Amino acid sequence: MLAQRTGGKELPRGLDAAWDSTAGLLRRLLPLRERFLRRAERIVSLEKLYCDISEAKLRCLAEELRHLFRRGRQAQADLDHAFALVREVAWRQLGERPFLVQVAGALAIEAGCITEMATGEGKTLTATLPAVIAGWCGRGCHIITVNDYLARRDAEWMQGIYAACGLTAAHVEGGMSNPQRRAAYAADITYCTNKEVTADFLRDRIELDRAGVRGLSSALMAKIVDGAASATDRLVQRGLHRAIIDEADSILIDEAVTPVIISGQAPNPEAVEAFQQAASLAGLLQSGEDYKVSQRFREVDLTEEGKRRLAELAEPLGGIWTGARRREEMITQALTAGELYLRDKQYVVQEGKVVIVDEFTGRLMPDREWRDGLHQAVSAKEAVEVQSPKETFSRVSFQRFFRLYRKLSGMTGTAREGWREFWQIYHTPVVVIPTNRPCARTVLPDMALADEKAKWAAIVEQIEEIHRTGRPILVGTRSVRASEHLSAMLTVGGLDHSVLNAVRHAEEAQIVAGAGQAGRITVATNMAGRGTDIKLGRGVAQLGGLYVLATERHEAGRVDRQLFGRSARQGDPGTARAVVSLEDELVRRYVPAIAATLGRRYAHARGDIASRMVHGVFQLAQHRAERLALRQRKAVLRTDDWLDQYLGFAGAEQ
Amino acid sequence: MPVDRPTFSESWYRVADLRPQLRTTVATNRQHFRGQMWHVVQDPTANQFFRLSETAYRFVAMLDGRRSVAEAWRICNEQLGDSAPTQGEAIELLGQLYASNLLAAELPPDAAGLLKRYQQRRLREVQGFLMNLLFVRIPLWDPDSFLERWVGVVGRVFSWYGLGVLVVLLAGGFYSVAGRWGQLADRAQGVLDPANLPLLYLTFLIVKVFHELGHAFACKRFGKIGGAGGEVHVLGVMFLVFTPFPYVDASSMWAFRDKWRRTVVGAAGMLVELAIASVAAMVWAGTAEGTTLHAVTYNVMFIASVSSLLFNGNPLLRYDGYYILSDLVEIPNLSQRSRDYLHYLVRKYAWSVRNPRNPANTRGERIWFVCYGICSTIYRIFISLRILLFVADKLFLLGAALAVAGAISFVFVPLGRFVRYLATSGELLRVRGRAVGSTLAALAVVVVGVGLIPAPDRFRVEGVVEPASLAIIYAGTDGFIQDFLPSGTEASPDGPPLIRAVNPQLQAQAAGLRAERRRIEAQRRLAQTRDVASAQVYGEQLAALDGQIARLEEELATLTLQPPWAGRWVSPDIDRLRGAYVQRGDKLGLLTGLEAVIVRAMVGQKAAPTIVTEAAEGPDAPRVDIRVRGRPDMELSGRVGKVLPAGQEQLPSAALGYAAGGSIQTAADDPHGTKSAEQLFEIRIDPDQHSSLRLLPGQRVVVRFHAHAKPLAAQWWRELLQLVQRRFHA
Repeated sequence: MLAQRTGGKELPRGLDAAWDSTAGLLRRLLPLRERFLRRAERIVSLEKLYCDISEAKLRCLAEELRHLFRRGRQAQADLDHAFALVREVAWRQLGERPFLVQVAGALAIEAGCITEMATGEGKTLTATLPAVIAGWCGRGCHIITVNDYLARRDAEWMQGIYAACGLTAAHVEGGMSNPQRRAAYAADITYCTNKEVTADFLRDRIELDRAGVRGLSSALMAKIVDGAASATDRLVQRGLHRAIIDEADSILIDEAVTPVIISGQAPNPEAVEAFQQAASLAGLLQSGEDYKVSQRFREVDLTEEGKRRLAELAEPLGGIWTGARRREEMITQALTAGELYLRDKQYVVQEGKVVIVDEFTGRLMPDREWRDGLHQAVSAKEAVEVQSPKETFSRVSFQRFFRLYRKLSGMTGTAREGWREFWQIYHTPVVVIPTNRPCARTVLPDMALADEKAKWAAIVEQIEEIHRTGRPILVGTRSVRASEHLSAMLTVGGLDHSVLNAVRHAEEAQIVAGAGQAGRITVATNMAGRGTDIKLGRGVAQLGGLYVLATERHEAGRVDRQLFGRSARQGDPGTARAVVSLEDELVRRYVPAIAATLGRRYAHARGDIASRMVHGVFQLAQHRAERLALRQRKAVLRTDDWLDQYLGFAGAEQ
Repeated sequence: MPVDRPTFSESWYRVADLRPQLRTTVATNRQHFRGQMWHVVQDPTANQFFRLSETAYRFVAMLDGRRSVAEAWRICNEQLGDSAPTQGEAIELLGQLYASNLLAAELPPDAAGLLKRYQQRRLREVQGFLMNLLFVRIPLWDPDSFLERWVGVVGRVFSWYGLGVLVVLLAGGFYSVAGRWGQLADRAQGVLDPANLPLLYLTFLIVKVFHELGHAFACKRFGKIGGAGGEVHVLGVMFLVFTPFPYVDASSMWAFRDKWRRTVVGAAGMLVELAIASVAAMVWAGTAEGTTLHAVTYNVMFIASVSSLLFNGNPLLRYDGYYILSDLVEIPNLSQRSRDYLHYLVRKYAWSVRNPRNPANTRGERIWFVCYGICSTIYRIFISLRILLFVADKLFLLGAALAVAGAISFVFVPLGRFVRYLATSGELLRVRGRAVGSTLAALAVVVVGVGLIPAPDRFRVEGVVEPASLAIIYAGTDGFIQDFLPSGTEASPDGPPLIRAVNPQLQAQAAGLRAERRRIEAQRRLAQTRDVASAQVYGEQLAALDGQIARLEEELATLTLQPPWAGRWVSPDIDRLRGAYVQRGDKLGLLTGLEAVIVRAMVGQKAAPTIVTEAAEGPDAPRVDIRVRGRPDMELSGRVGKVLPAGQEQLPSAALGYAAGGSIQTAADDPHGTKSAEQLFEIRIDPDQHSSLRLLPGQRVVVRFHAHAKPLAAQWWRELLQLVQRRFHA
């Protein structure tokens, strides 16, 4: 914690960057996967050595290895033996012995790669192998998952293995007290969510900062002077050494630039009033005339006419409304809140408060706020109580935070599309591990409709059709709003179904887990219930397995594949299909001109208009979206680097 | 954010609670630029400068080490409203001040960051050095204490009295050379004579040392008067295209409040040189030609006036003239900002980039930026090319290496940056298609213009006019010239003779022979009656005499020279021959054909192959324009007639050679000036007949060949290949 580098390694620039990405490209040519698989075979063949020895002897061997790793004296072969031993332990404790591919995945993780393993291949178990090694090394190991439920479940589930290897495992979840957290981080292996670990890190930094502790020397001084009461003893974490990230693509890419902010209240009644005035002024302006809305860039622009009108309207208000810049900024924000932030899509109003809805998971984020007054603007629009803007104490994005780890690796179902980003930003190569059993998923070509209405009708029709065969269906929607819309339509159609959104993770997982029963219809947002297996009910496999229906293509092809990956797990049969329309947000935002042209061409088409061209348009849109996103994420990192460099007088990033 | 300057920044928390202040050593000076007030913050120990706008300065000045950044920002916002710096701007400002080592915070500095910045700076310096091998600066000496000691005495030069003295000197200098302009101009041609070059360079060096000391003393002097430091810590050597020049770093003058003082510091070097030139002019005028002092003072005069004004005074180069100009028009950093402004115009109007930052503050600045930006860009390209070609010409291998380095730093690096900017810049996010499209369109225009559209391909050579038919008139018999046609008149066989001469001896001889004949005739007649046999002898004697007489008569007839055909009689010296004795075979003049003339042009290896191949094409043979030297109004045309196949070194006329003011370099060892330094091909051109304009034999003309039009790229490529070939003798 104290000797931690402040900003992670800076992103290379210019020729260095070109060289670096070439290196990443070349690395992809290395037969890493084959190497890991061969080695995994060797490890699996060691099974005989361990399967007959007694429990006590096993513990004894584990202890020996632990000392070896603690001292850093391990040889290549020791790692093989360690893995073989953990396999045996896993068999004895959980009744599961990691398969060959799981061992190969574990090796890749140990080698600092992002491991792509198909969903349902047992990533949780895979992670225990490298986690044990990291635990033995004694510097702590964070296994990072996407939600508290998974963190607790995995920690409890794998407890036996770790205990048998002489290690302690714990988890961190929301609502824990500081001593609890400290104890959890002190464990050899800590299961936690990305949000918790980052927030704890920031809180520790603030703690150090308040105590004026900067760097190792001053920490030692503080320790000598203050003894047990020193700031260093109030920290909960003990350093960022090793992280194994589950759902690495979601955390390291999708949420990369999401900042974790530690903030406090800073009452400011004038600002609150200004936001309310802005909301009422915004109501007086005409869209198109006074301002223009760009869906693609999610922005609102005042026109000259609008600026003039605004000046007129704001004249009697005085205060911050006298200055043109501030005034226009406030109004633009109010208009953005009004035009681009929709109730029940981006947020819900609960107990008189605006609560952000995570667009992708559908989860409510009560502790999150939009920044720069947007939250206040939205609150003002909804005429609920406007809170003063919070004051930021400390802030870090996941991308920046995870780059701080000495050793970072991860696993996910869909990594290969993001290899470039994984390499350029985290310097982790991607290794694709094959499935244990051959995949029996049929991915049907997309069904394309001319407009939104036709699309939903087609979806309901499809669902009915499949439902008649008795196959379970999982319908993935992009947003909570879409899932609710579909739910309403299904109800009208008399189709019994369950909807997943904004519920507690444990229930969510149960619903998802039950989605494989015959005759089930489950409507869920794309991201809901990640990390939970959908096990097929009895006889479902004969019917053709789970049918996954995507109602839209996501910006990242990765996310589509994740959804599709929910069917046909572990060699089960399954079908996946996407239904898209030319009015989908994806094409409207990223290829507006082409989408509009095609839309006119197929204006009167009722049925499926899928063609190579339509397919190409969607691919182009996805490609553009992905590229843009990567560029933006890199830009964020660069800006942070720039700030670090220029704000040297402010000390290192806190 | 579609807002121009968003008020809040998410990074604000990092600086909000800090209590930084400007370093105690930092001095601040107010300056006015185009009616706006600016504050120049200066760290005298490191010669670091930073220009702050009024509002930015208000913010920075409020940071006293006790107020926090957040407080200062709030107060600024209350007082200044819209123009107050936004949080983002405040962060940037603090960051830049910190990076310039002008800001102190109560926190221990980020040592790793400091080291990194230092390394980056070193790296940039090394890169700059390698990128700019043609303009290397090497600091040698810190002259500050020397200047400090002498500024009290020498510095007085930079005062009103000093100006008066300069005016007097200038007047004196002009007065002493006033009557000798011709002589001045004559000598100017010889100043670049290879023999004079070492002396010239030595003089140059000495004059430039005074020039630089002028800057240094002026800077020091005004720094002392204005209390703004004015320290000069670097005097060094700058290698400008491998030629060492002295330079000083007088950048501390940026802290001077009065722009006239800055201007004087900028101009000091040239003023000193002008004074030197005036003194040199007076000495030059007072010494005799041929003395060393005379030659040296001429060099001094030449360098200190012409080179100084052309080179240092040129505002398009980044030397004194530029700084003076940017001070006079009150636009600091003119060059960079004009380029930024042009880029801004492109971004705003061609690409519709949203909220591009406008580097211009006032209307006047905009005009300056546009004019200066365009001129200096064109000039820079031009001068870079010239320098590269010059270096490549003089030192081929090194030149080629430099050309490559130059191409990398002047062309590829900016090009790469531009491409990356086009491809990845955030501000082009929504107009990238348009930006890339318009760039490609502009590129296409250039490519088509240079690479596809044929442009006239012309060569210019000098030639002399000669008549197509020509007869040389020789004296047929010895004799005294009695009468002749004046030179230049037209003559014809039935007209008056060209020359009428007399030869009394021959006439007497003829008279004698005739008398003898008559005597023998008489004797023959007598013998016919008396002695038939002897009469026959007399008859034979007569026949012999007749033969002698006829020969004499013929010879006498040639004393009157009649033109063989109609033509123009050319004999420039004929007037001097009246009554003179000419011997048989002496050349008396020329008879030139009236109608046709030809032009004999000598073409070097560069253009010859093209002309030769194209001339062989018959009716398509390239057209030729002909201009007479000294008669720009005469426009004639013609076509290539005959190309003499073999190369030769003999010029048809000395008038074409260097020695006689022509444009062909002649061999140094040839006293007649008719032997060329390189092999030339003679091309004969038949001028078209023209009713009123006539070419006269002996005239020197400029001939312009029109080869088939070719795209410029093809022409340049040919020239490049020729250059390479010439250098490698391949």
